[in-house]
Amino acid sequence: MTSRTLRPKNRVIAAYLAPGLLIYCFIVIIPLFISLIYSFYNYSGGASMKFIGLTNYRHLIKDMDFWGSFKNNLIIILLSMVGQIGIALVITVFMMSKLLKLKAIHRNIIFLPVVVSAIVVGFLWTIIYNKDFGLLNFLLKSLGLESLIIPWLDNPKYVIISVSMPIIWQYIGFYLVIFLAAIQSIPNEIYESADLDGAVGIKRSMYITIPLMSDTLKVAVMLCIAGNMKIFDHIYVMTGGGPGTSSMVMAQYAYINSFIMFKLGYGSAISVGILVLSLSLILLSRKLWGGKNNEA
Amino acid sequence: MKKALKCLSLLMAALMVFSLAACGASAGGETNSSDSAASGAQQSTASSAGSQAPVTLTFTHMFPAGDTEGNAIAFRKSLDKFKSENPNITINEEPLSHDNYETKVRTLAAGNELPDIFIVKGSMTSMFIENKLINPVDDVINRDPEWKEAFLQGAFDDFVVDGKSYGIPFQMLNTHLIYYNKKLFSDAGITAFPSNWSEFTDAINKLKAKGIIPISLGNKGNWVAESCILSTLGDRYTGTDWFKSIKEKKGAKFTDPEFISALKALQDLAKMDAFNTDLNSIDNMQQKTAYYNGKAAMFMEGNWAISNVINDAPKDILDNTELALLPAVDGGKGDAMANSAGAAWAYNVNSELKGDKLAAAYKILKAVTDADYATVSVESNAFPASNPKNIDKSKLAPLSIKYLDLAAKIKPVPIYDAQLSADLIQVMNTGLQELLIDGISPEDLAKKIQAEYEK
Repeated sequence: MTSRTLRPKNRVIAAYLAPGLLIYCFIVIIPLFISLIYSFYNYSGGASMKFIGLTNYRHLIKDMDFWGSFKNNLIIILLSMVGQIGIALVITVFMMSKLLKLKAIHRNIIFLPVVVSAIVVGFLWTIIYNKDFGLLNFLLKSLGLESLIIPWLDNPKYVIISVSMPIIWQYIGFYLVIFLAAIQSIPNEIYESADLDGAVGIKRSMYITIPLMSDTLKVAVMLCIAGNMKIFDHIYVMTGGGPGTSSMVMAQYAYINSFIMFKLGYGSAISVGILVLSLSLILLSRKLWGGKNNEA
Repeated sequence: MKKALKCLSLLMAALMVFSLAACGASAGGETNSSDSAASGAQQSTASSAGSQAPVTLTFTHMFPAGDTEGNAIAFRKSLDKFKSENPNITINEEPLSHDNYETKVRTLAAGNELPDIFIVKGSMTSMFIENKLINPVDDVINRDPEWKEAFLQGAFDDFVVDGKSYGIPFQMLNTHLIYYNKKLFSDAGITAFPSNWSEFTDAINKLKAKGIIPISLGNKGNWVAESCILSTLGDRYTGTDWFKSIKEKKGAKFTDPEFISALKALQDLAKMDAFNTDLNSIDNMQQKTAYYNGKAAMFMEGNWAISNVINDAPKDILDNTELALLPAVDGGKGDAMANSAGAAWAYNVNSELKGDKLAAAYKILKAVTDADYATVSVESNAFPASNPKNIDKSKLAPLSIKYLDLAAKIKPVPIYDAQLSADLIQVMNTGLQELLIDGISPEDLAKKIQAEYEK
């Protein structure tokens, strides 16, 4: 943008942007507003709609199943922060080590699950957790650890942890790639001078790599929150929200209300609720993290 | 740079969240107004041109070509015959598997974009009627006595609202049957299938002592426990009058002691380890696997599983398979031969169809529900909603004959998920998953269901 002569006319820029913006408006912005409108109606699909004002929202605030699924979302976010970002960070640090050979192969293998469809991952892990034929129980048995075997997907106490594992496993590679890219943008001179000052190994990571990546880390945390607030497919496949509602997440609760119970108005209200909760979580995380720094 | 990165990150986060909220809204919009206008125009010209004018209809159903289930085979045969006899009627089919079909028809109904002919579930009728998506079918059926007479008694019950029928049934389901392995039973020292509740629990304990899973249950889809067990078990305790009173809102409550006893009986079975421990994480296909392997002595599912057992079970298991019903319960008001039965699904046509299109649509529906269809269906080991003309019993598998003998003695009572509304059923089904792992008491679950019922 430095040279004005190379800059196309505003009209041209607008023309290039228009198709994308139009599509985006059509499939995201407009439905969003429609769903906001639906949330004020008693609407079961079809032609009959009855305006009921804020009644849906009044129900939503008192709906323990909704807050239960919000709690599940929070647990998944927490586990993912530790699991996805934490493990990815550890692997990144290892990847920086000069001792590691065949870096490209490691990177590709770790990234592989990211491209697999969530439905496939869900099915895969359903089989892994299976009581009689599951890989997990087979491993525990062959290691002589039968006492550790629990009904992975059947006990409401642990089910939310069980269903979080595939989600964590799948997305480690995604954050790894982001972190590796961030590390590559750290100038080599800094490392060289650090070497001269005697900062090697873990010290190098603690005092140079991670502080210089902190912006990327913030983005990763935000992506983690946004991604896990709308998590749906893994859990839909693995447990369907069961047993009972013990692994229900908000997105699935909205789906069940809209399309299984035919309460589209209430389902829309739930969606709006998810939007509000997600945005406030993200803003909160920014406040907590970015508070001391001077930028907005 | 930092600021740009921050802006970008916030934008991306917002984007991801937005894309979710957008999912909640259906794409509605598109209406059939141009379509119905066209059909109206067609009607005026077509009626003068005679009945051979070309008609095109869209038909979404749940019988894909490769399906080996009896109803699907019969459907394909009948529809192919219809197509060759009526070259002027073009049918644009969209076949889907059962579960996908259910999702699709719910979504289409919510978006007001139903095809010309579709299949509706009993629990959906009230929502469809409320939105004027379907019309009653009584007039059409009454005009054709031969068609009408062929239907079995009670076939229309799942679709009757305010005295009018809103669907043409094609199958007759008994959602509860106990498939049991008589060899495993006799190995455990049980000579005959138990005829009362204490014998039944004794038998379960004997099977357990042998290291066999007494009842294999796969309730991940959360309808199995309610549709295949509780609908019948409930009736054993409450009797059918209670259900009628519930359906017509005439005073019966889910918190009545009889219904709570039924829930309690189900939970007691789970508490005495009558079921496998992973009952909430396997589905109804997987519940049969344990039975096929000889690891489980019983499973409970409807009559649709008969063709599965015939096609999939190893021969020695199939030969030892017998059918039974839940035994009578102590102090129950219901009949011991009562069995949750009904059509569950039925055809109907889009309420916007008119003239020739409407006539053609009903003509198609007659072809896939009448006595000729029933004959093919029975011979494919399925159970249609009409009486077949004459069947060649030698074409039937032995298990089908066992079933037909049992079915002749059965007294049909309502299937909960075919007659109660979808939101109530969702609460009940979710609750049953918890009930079976002792996560909620029968009394609390009954209160929860009652609260949803009163909404």
